[in-house]
Amino acid sequence: MPKSAIERAAEVTPPAVARRIKGLSDRAIAWIFVTPTIVILLAINIFPLIWTIWLSFTNFRVNRPNNAVEFIGLRNYERILTDPDTWMTMQATAHFLFWTIFFQVLIGFALAYLINKKFKGNDMWTTIIVLPMMLSPAVVGNFWTFLYQPQIGFFNYVVSFFTGVDPTSFSMIGDVSLAPWSIVIVDTWMWTPFVMLICLAGLRSIPDNIYEAAECDRASKWRQFWTITIPMVLPFLMLAILFRGIENFKMFDLVVQLTGGGPGSTTELTSINLKREAFEKWRTGFASAYAVILFVTVFGLASIYVKALNRVKAR
Amino acid sequence: MADVELRNITKSFDKDIGLEKVSLKINDGEFVVLLGPTGAGKTTTLRLIAGLEKPDSGEIWIDGRNVVNDSPAQRDVAMVFQQYSLYPHLTVRENLEFPLKSPILKTPVDVMKRKVNDVAEVLRISHKLDNKATELSGGEMQRVSMGRALVRNPRIYLMDEPLSSLDAKLRSELRIELKRIQAELGATILYVTHDQIEAMTMATQIGVLNNGRLEQFGPPREIYENPSSQYVATRLGSPRINTLPVSIFGGAPAGSALIGLRPEHIHIGSGQDCQVTRIEHLGDQIRLHLRLAGHNIITLTDTHTSIKVGDVIAIQPNNPIFFDANGSRVV
Ligand SMILES: Nc1ncnc2c1ncn2[C@@H]1O[C@H](COP(=O)(O)OP(=O)(O)OP(=O)(O)O)[C@@H](O)[C@H]1O
Ligand SMILES: [Mg+2]
Repeated sequence: MPKSAIERAAEVTPPAVARRIKGLSDRAIAWIFVTPTIVILLAINIFPLIWTIWLSFTNFRVNRPNNAVEFIGLRNYERILTDPDTWMTMQATAHFLFWTIFFQVLIGFALAYLINKKFKGNDMWTTIIVLPMMLSPAVVGNFWTFLYQPQIGFFNYVVSFFTGVDPTSFSMIGDVSLAPWSIVIVDTWMWTPFVMLICLAGLRSIPDNIYEAAECDRASKWRQFWTITIPMVLPFLMLAILFRGIENFKMFDLVVQLTGGGPGSTTELTSINLKREAFEKWRTGFASAYAVILFVTVFGLASIYVKALNRVKAR
Repeated sequence: MADVELRNITKSFDKDIGLEKVSLKINDGEFVVLLGPTGAGKTTTLRLIAGLEKPDSGEIWIDGRNVVNDSPAQRDVAMVFQQYSLYPHLTVRENLEFPLKSPILKTPVDVMKRKVNDVAEVLRISHKLDNKATELSGGEMQRVSMGRALVRNPRIYLMDEPLSSLDAKLRSELRIELKRIQAELGATILYVTHDQIEAMTMATQIGVLNNGRLEQFGPPREIYENPSSQYVATRLGSPRINTLPVSIFGGAPAGSALIGLRPEHIHIGSGQDCQVTRIEHLGDQIRLHLRLAGHNIITLTDTHTSIKVGDVIAIQPNNPIFFDANGSRVV
């Protein structure tokens, strides 16, 4: 009989160490392995979280360390929730979230569906399609500012080629009504491949013989798609939505590089707004309250969502 | 239900021969069993008839129509897959309803319910109807897979080893149920099995496949009593037919090289002396292992025998079967 991993591990353990370990219970050994991780987690995740919550009830400013720190209760929260600017950024974020997820799921699934068909060179196409995802967001943001350039930009050229409008007549980044869409387009370009990969994993997990059974059961391709493909890919799709949702709620680098939150504050997403409050206006207490609100929002939404996801998977 | 006919079907995969020039005719209402060792092309035959695979050449006729270019749905056949192929995200009930929900059939809801319940009862899976298809034992999955075919009324049922994962008792019960259903519906069935008893008891015709070729096709008794080759002779009969060089007994027809002896071809009491090397008591029969001129022979004797290990007994062929050096039958 081949030796188990545990037996082999025991064999290569030096005798001195082995003697010391033998005296310990399984539980003690487990603790030895887990403790470093717990310590690190406490130090860099839990402690700052608690500290932030504390700061959110104060008027502390990092750039005035000598000022007395006053406890001001819920005043920060009140200010944030009654500030119309907050709602503007929330709206911009919601717009960004909804449309990026919408397009990425739609296009990502469609691409995965096509790539999953057996044809020559589909591996090569997968590699090509996945490329944008591998670039740095700062680089992507930067070169899309060129693509969006009204005079020389390729994007404007393509749009004018298909619609006939004058390419210099519109500026994706400069126009108040177009800017929110400019960031949606870039994020979709960059992250659709990610959704595609997850969908592809889902599609590949469906065995061929189920479709053969469905063929014999006289189900049309259309019915196979809706009763087999979609239900079986759904958990994967929902996972992709969760990842993209959380990522885009925190979206910062790409948009800062592309529009800097402008024009005005039309593309000022919550994370950009938060960074302004914390590190340009230095309102640390206020920004902490803001961060707590965002955290609770994401956490709440994600929990509800994960519950739904589990329900779908359990079906 | 309908006639199904294969004409000169050839199908090869990359380098393997799946089937070679197979022709066979299944008449309406017949129960045809395909026998053959693993890799013989049994599943391939079913898949070709179902339309899941396209033949390289040859024709498939169902109900007087060449269906080679038809889709599985157009052919209207029901298949029980060797590897079950249940819909894993659906419950047992939903799996059974799936074929009935086909827009082609437009089954009314109450009819669908009744059919599913009836089939579940026959297959002894009523208590699992609300389980997910993945929450079943292998034998239960296999019965759901069979149920998914039986709820329909197709032109032909194609069943790929549908009882292979069941225990002996359930298997013999379902064998009887299946025969009953077939008689009731007048169903046409093409059935693959490795089980001799299934083949002999259920088949109206047996086809023996070997290496992609149909070696013989005929009623079970004919296949058993009148095999066309040594190979076919070994597929049926327990214990297996004994084959020995003809020189041992002599009196063989010209051109024959081997003599085939089933237990009923062996007369005990006179002829060549041989030694009893082993005796197996199987309850309803006794197997004798004999040693004759360096060859092993297995035969049967009645349960009251007084023969013991080490005895020397005389045996003689009685109406044996002869084969030539290539294993073909010599008459
Ligand atoms: N999709 C395929 N691709 C390549 N070769 C195949 C394919 N399907 C079957 N074959 C080959 O065709 C031959 C017949 O296969 P088939 O599945 O019909 O055997 P079988 O008689 O059903 O065997 P078993 O009793 O093990 O189920 C085998 O040699 C197999 O390797
Ligand atoms: Mg098979």
